[in-house]
Amino acid sequence: MRPAHLAASSLLLMVGPAVAEEAPLAAFTAPLTGREVFLAVVIGAMMACGLASFFLAGRVSDRTQIALAMFVVLIGAFGLLVLFGGFIYGSTIGAVAIVLLLIGLFKLMNQFEGARKKPPGTKSQDRA
Amino acid sequence: MLRADENPSRSLYFLNWWLDAAAIGGLSIVAFVVARLFAGGGERTLEIAQAAAILSVFVNYPHFSATVYRLYESRDSARQFPVTSYGLPFVLLAAVAASLWQPELVAPYFILLFLIWSPYHYSGQTLGITMIYARRAGFGIGQWQRFALSTFIFSTFVVALVHRQRVEPTGSYGVILPAIAFPDWFEPVVTTAMWAGAAVFLWFIIGWCRARRQMLPPIVLLPAVSQYVWFMPGMQTAAFYEFVPLFHSLQYLYIAWAMQVGLHVGREGQERSWRSIRAVSVKWGLWNYVGGILLFIALPWLFFWVPLPMALIAGVLIAAVNIHHFFVDGVIWKLRHAPSTSPLMTNVADLAAPPRAAQA
Repeated sequence: MRPAHLAASSLLLMVGPAVAEEAPLAAFTAPLTGREVFLAVVIGAMMACGLASFFLAGRVSDRTQIALAMFVVLIGAFGLLVLFGGFIYGSTIGAVAIVLLLIGLFKLMNQFEGARKKPPGTKSQDRA
Repeated sequence: MLRADENPSRSLYFLNWWLDAAAIGGLSIVAFVVARLFAGGGERTLEIAQAAAILSVFVNYPHFSATVYRLYESRDSARQFPVTSYGLPFVLLAAVAASLWQPELVAPYFILLFLIWSPYHYSGQTLGITMIYARRAGFGIGQWQRFALSTFIFSTFVVALVHRQRVEPTGSYGVILPAIAFPDWFEPVVTTAMWAGAAVFLWFIIGWCRARRQMLPPIVLLPAVSQYVWFMPGMQTAAFYEFVPLFHSLQYLYIAWAMQVGLHVGREGQERSWRSIRAVSVKWGLWNYVGGILLFIALPWLFFWVPLPMALIAGVLIAAVNIHHFFVDGVIWKLRHAPSTSPLMTNVADLAAPPRAAQA
């Protein structure tokens, strides 16, 4: 084998592992799509509500805590609607399921920041 | 959503039979009949759309403003519901920002959410107003009566949603939404549920009438009948359907006005007279007129710099204002007041006369 050919084949052998090493890195550093960025924002907003609930614990009423939890549900539901809402247009079962879930969401949100009945024997900590 | 209070009322009406019946739904039914007779079902002509748009400024927009006014009227009111008062606007602002940032991915779903939530909200109001008049009439609505009535009312909105998706492609508020793929069996099932709910509720009414040997005042049923007209035959009458939001708003404004008068007249040192009622009404009306213009005309123009079609920007902001309204409406009727009798149970005319103790 001529030295030039040897050098070329050696180069291929060296580049192969390097490509293999870079491939996973590329997967991690690939630019996010708009949908993924939106999902990240939704997760961030849900975390913000969770953190607010944590840091306000003991300083706000139960009703406020529940309202923050409902924000988490609302933001999560909207995130899911954006991600999977396409089924409402393409699948008959998806359409019925999504509309019924939305009605359930609206019904839940009707109780937003409202007083809830406590189970009997539960001590009230509601300061409002 | 409106809720009946526990206090019994001396009067069935907020003002009188004519005005209550007209505002709560009678006017809408008359308008529907006129549209059917003279426009023959009609088309959504440019003139009709313009008339609806002009009336919106005086009725629809103030109805949104009225909820905002009620919640933020005093610091005490806003503090009673801090998450709704101070947290919700930021969440909705974030949704607006996401919609404008991703107009093809997020905005269509934000507007879809509002478009489905809106008739649901109408249904909730219909149920709430029925509960108020039932309470005033002494017609007890228990768990099963409420279930039957809710089934009827909420089914009308679902049937209308399914039907509308078949009739027209929904291109509105700056986005084009494809038709929702409801299966063929869904509409008959919901329609059956709607009539079953109506039948069961009527059965309760007949039982009540026979036990009491008296007729149930028709005003109790007027909100539900109106909603049926709006969403079932009304939807197929384009010349009328354009005005359904107006009639919903009128219904709301009437109750909200009675509430405002009941809260302020005769209290805080104010005399009980028609002059006081007029003063409270004019102040409230002007605030809501200006507030409505700020919400629906000034607010969208604040976003003129966003490089998107104005129709889409306005659509997203209208959706946000509506969703805010749905939330705020859910809490303002639960605000606690010092007065002993709920304004939802009073008659406005009673507030024009001196209190009984003073008369004696």
